[in-house]
Amino acid sequence: MRWLSSLTHKKASDIISDFIVYIMCVLIFIIIAYPLYFVVIASVSNADLVALGEVTMYPKGFSWFAYQKIFEDERVWIGYRNTIFYTVVGTLFNLFLTLPAAYALSRKEFRPRHGLMFYFIFTMFFSGGLIPTYILMKKLGLENTPWVFIVPFSVNIYNLIVTRVYFETSIPQELYEAATLDGCSHLRFFLKIALPLSKPVIAVIALYYIVGHWNDFFTGLIYIRDKNLVPLQLVLRDILIANLVFKEGVGLGGAAGGYAQRYADSIKYALIIVASLPVLVLYPFLQKYFKKGIMFGALKG
Amino acid sequence: MLEKALKTVFIVLVVLSLMLPLAIAQEKPTLRVIVVTHPLTKDVDKMPHMKTMADAAGVKIVWEQYRATFYEKKQALLASGDVPDIFISGWWNTIEDADFVRYPGLYQPLDELITKYAPNVQRMFKEHPELKILSTSPDGHIYSLPKYQRFWPKNQIRMMVNKRWLDKLGLKPPKTWDELYQVLKAFKTKDPNGNGKADEIPIDWAPGTGSFNVTALLSGYGIVASFSDGTGWYVEDGKVKNYFMDPRYKELVKFLNKLYSEGLVNPEVFTQDYSKFQAVGRGTEEVPLVGLTFGWEPYDRLGSKWAPQYAVIGPIKPSAKYTGPIYWDFNYFGLNYGRNYIAMTSKCKDKEAAMKFIDQFYNPENGLQVLFGPLGENIKKNKDGSYVILPPKDPNMDPGTWKWTSTLADAGPMYVSDTMKVTLGSDMRALAQYDKVYKPYLDRVNLEKQVWPGPFIVYSKEDTDEIARLWTDTSSIITSNYASFISKGNVDAQWDNYTKELEKAGINRIIEIMQKYYDEFKKKYPGILKMPAKK
Amino acid sequence: MKKESHFHGIFDKILNSIKKDYLLWLMVLPAVIEVFIFHYIPIYGVQLAFREYDFSTGGFGGKWVGLKYFIQFFNSYQFKNILWNTFFISITNIIIGFPIPIILAILINQLRNQRTKEFLQTIVYMPHFISTPVMVGLLIVLLAPNTGIISKFLDALFGIGNLNLLGEPRAFVPLYVLSDVWQHAGWNSIVYLAVLSNVDLELYEACKVDGGGRWHTIRYIELPTLVPTMLILLVLNLGSILGVGFEKIYLMQNPLNIRVSEVISTYVYKMGLLSAQFSYATAIGLFNTVINFTFLSIGNRISKKFTGWSLW
Repeated sequence: MRWLSSLTHKKASDIISDFIVYIMCVLIFIIIAYPLYFVVIASVSNADLVALGEVTMYPKGFSWFAYQKIFEDERVWIGYRNTIFYTVVGTLFNLFLTLPAAYALSRKEFRPRHGLMFYFIFTMFFSGGLIPTYILMKKLGLENTPWVFIVPFSVNIYNLIVTRVYFETSIPQELYEAATLDGCSHLRFFLKIALPLSKPVIAVIALYYIVGHWNDFFTGLIYIRDKNLVPLQLVLRDILIANLVFKEGVGLGGAAGGYAQRYADSIKYALIIVASLPVLVLYPFLQKYFKKGIMFGALKG
Repeated sequence: MLEKALKTVFIVLVVLSLMLPLAIAQEKPTLRVIVVTHPLTKDVDKMPHMKTMADAAGVKIVWEQYRATFYEKKQALLASGDVPDIFISGWWNTIEDADFVRYPGLYQPLDELITKYAPNVQRMFKEHPELKILSTSPDGHIYSLPKYQRFWPKNQIRMMVNKRWLDKLGLKPPKTWDELYQVLKAFKTKDPNGNGKADEIPIDWAPGTGSFNVTALLSGYGIVASFSDGTGWYVEDGKVKNYFMDPRYKELVKFLNKLYSEGLVNPEVFTQDYSKFQAVGRGTEEVPLVGLTFGWEPYDRLGSKWAPQYAVIGPIKPSAKYTGPIYWDFNYFGLNYGRNYIAMTSKCKDKEAAMKFIDQFYNPENGLQVLFGPLGENIKKNKDGSYVILPPKDPNMDPGTWKWTSTLADAGPMYVSDTMKVTLGSDMRALAQYDKVYKPYLDRVNLEKQVWPGPFIVYSKEDTDEIARLWTDTSSIITSNYASFISKGNVDAQWDNYTKELEKAGINRIIEIMQKYYDEFKKKYPGILKMPAKK
Repeated sequence: MKKESHFHGIFDKILNSIKKDYLLWLMVLPAVIEVFIFHYIPIYGVQLAFREYDFSTGGFGGKWVGLKYFIQFFNSYQFKNILWNTFFISITNIIIGFPIPIILAILINQLRNQRTKEFLQTIVYMPHFISTPVMVGLLIVLLAPNTGIISKFLDALFGIGNLNLLGEPRAFVPLYVLSDVWQHAGWNSIVYLAVLSNVDLELYEACKVDGGGRWHTIRYIELPTLVPTMLILLVLNLGSILGVGFEKIYLMQNPLNIRVSEVISTYVYKMGLLSAQFSYATAIGLFNTVINFTFLSIGNRISKKFTGWSLW
């Protein structure tokens, strides 16, 4: 009977809206989760059956072939190692450049911020293109080194803007003024107060930068020659192409038809899982920074 | 004391004399080579025949291998002048004519080097003068060398039909469009695969306007072209034309529309990708699904389970009354010849060494290995000097995949001379069997008046750019109408509009340019295109 | 004289500001230098849009041809069509794709059970990691007439299972946009969730005391909190108005839908395959970004006027 009384404490509109919320969440879950589930079962199924639409609720023609093919290739492990390094170091460098800059740009008393913002945003649209950039990398000695993944293009303007907006809206002017009264400099304020208050946005842009590094395919494609420096995405793409080609090589000497044919496409699906698993695992850790509300009152002390 | 000193001196001398050969050996020139291979191809530095060639030329090679994805990087490398000594690969746009023009001075003219250091190349030019054309740029110099692989057939496309279904239904392979219609109708309605479901796909062809396409039927209407090219260019009576504008094509799409509207064509023919196309061809575990289709050969197209049910059939003419010439898909030169397969850059420090290495590829025995794989593993050399192409080491692998894994294969520079005695692998021999149905039609192709000399034509940079611009617009019109004519019909009403659009997009200007080059080619090199009498 | 003093003026201003806020300058300096080196130094490549490519002069010193390539582009047969397609796809993407992450964030934020909330969040952003070729392949399989699961679903509901949606030109833009939303809405909602998570709990209490229900909290607390972020992201989105990415469109193109699916990026790609014309491609790229930038500036100005929020 207790639930009845708790019900009556709620407004009728709240009960209805609760219901709507839950229904919508369930629908969203199904719409998103089913294709993902499909990818998982497709990655262990016979590729031709998948293409014919015979695989819907559970795997058919079960085989680990796709995963075998991927993991027995030692390049995959080299790729994992490299990408982890580029991602961790790269993201730290990204944050080191972006956070202070976003903070400075968010302070109203910093007059040059308008000009500087324009200076940054301009580069989102106008760029010299691949060839001048390549020449620059060569001149700087970054080509074919691990640093080409870390040093160049380490400030993402979009992330800079998002962080700046967050600083502007969540760190109120009064807070700063109170701090300066105590003789606090910008730097101290930034480190001791602003940053700790901004955990959600730091988590978000850290995630953006991490994913950017993790998925980066182009940098390795253009600037790397040394097999030991290749990032994971490049290795996976090689594997994908090699196996797609089982079907493409026709007419050019009859290159298809091998026994691996049946599983060629399942590699496509397995690749998604292999490529994204680490980042997917990361998200729950960052989620705890999104927990609701820090009592403002506590800060005023 | 003296003894000890003498001993020491002796030891030092021995050690020095051992090091001397090493020191001399280090003197071998080193060449940096970028090679772009098929994704299946193994590491080039692990190929025994590559090492043999390097040793024969007295060089050490530092290989940089890319598997197919090289194009984006290439422009950056070339534009910044950051190039290796040699580029190898005829595929994936690794070496393009446009590059010689766009980056003057970057590529090394080979004319003199060939005269001095390349006996194999010289012999090749003598035995096959057309290969010299394939190596020469519009400015008269040689910047790259080609491939000639000799064994490939005259046609790329083969038409296949499920013979078992035909037999079951008491039908014969169709010889006219009407008979084709009857056969496809029977496939659709009489359940020849016997599973009680009307799941048969009477006819299916590859996505797009090219590849293994139904346009090959135009050959039965008298058009000689490489239909897998998909661009529509062909030559008739010495005139360059495009079959997507031809009245015979109009008749074909009207016919195909009839098939499509009766559900005889795979409804996904325009939306599926190549993967799906092949998957459908393989049928299900229980039954085959496709009745008549186009491909390289049955096992590749239909999978090893159902391929035995299919037969390769000859051309189909439009009607019983048709008395005009009948041909089949023709792409002899595209399949056997290739331009720009290996090139040297001017940055190369030891040009003599590089030329000697390049020359190795044109020694026929090496060429054969570049094509099929190394002696020993892939090829057996008999005492009488003849060769046998061996079956794949892995019994589960098909010969094609084996070839592509072991060596550069069709993407590599090579010269396979006509005089070598070679027993080909089972896959190539099977092709000869299948092609028996096409032989009479292909033998009558007039090389002088009916063939567009594909690889032999190089446009100037201005013409290349102009054609590219016009073609991007034109092909869009061709492609979208191809699909809508067949799926939606109404061809007669829209035909005039369609041709007008094509003209507006500039198709006649392209024809004009192509005709100019064709006429020049014929004038300069009359009768130079030949097909060997026998392989 | 006047010019000189004007220049001096700016210079002095900068000097003064450095003196006053030297710490802030210090904080922004690494980013400034970084962007200068990697974005501004190579920017000379843009002039290729106005010059012939000439390797002998290092590539960028070729003959000046002014607007030749732009005019070539405007006069090309397909220009109007691809411009319209690009624009139309982009606008539809913004109109549909922009609100959904917001709604999603608010919705998820309503859940009370922390664990369900986190679970749903994680699921919802996973599709973002599917690479484009695989995404399109997935689409082809799921939408296949009769055999694809979506077709089967439509058949069960409306009896129209044999539609070939991929071949239907009118379905192209909806398919493109909806699959984009499916793939990226979850990821795009992350930033909104982060902002929402920082809302002062006291505000919720106050609202409850006033007798406000769920809709009340959404309208008066959550939406206003999200507004600054929403505005900035909207303006930024306008800056991609002609930026329809190449890969997904190219893979979804087929002969039946090509009339509506040919966009600027696929056109440039096809041109490049046939004859890599650097100048032409650079010119088109420049045209693209100028339009994008113009839209962004206009959007920014409007935002500044009506709400005071501005990107710069």
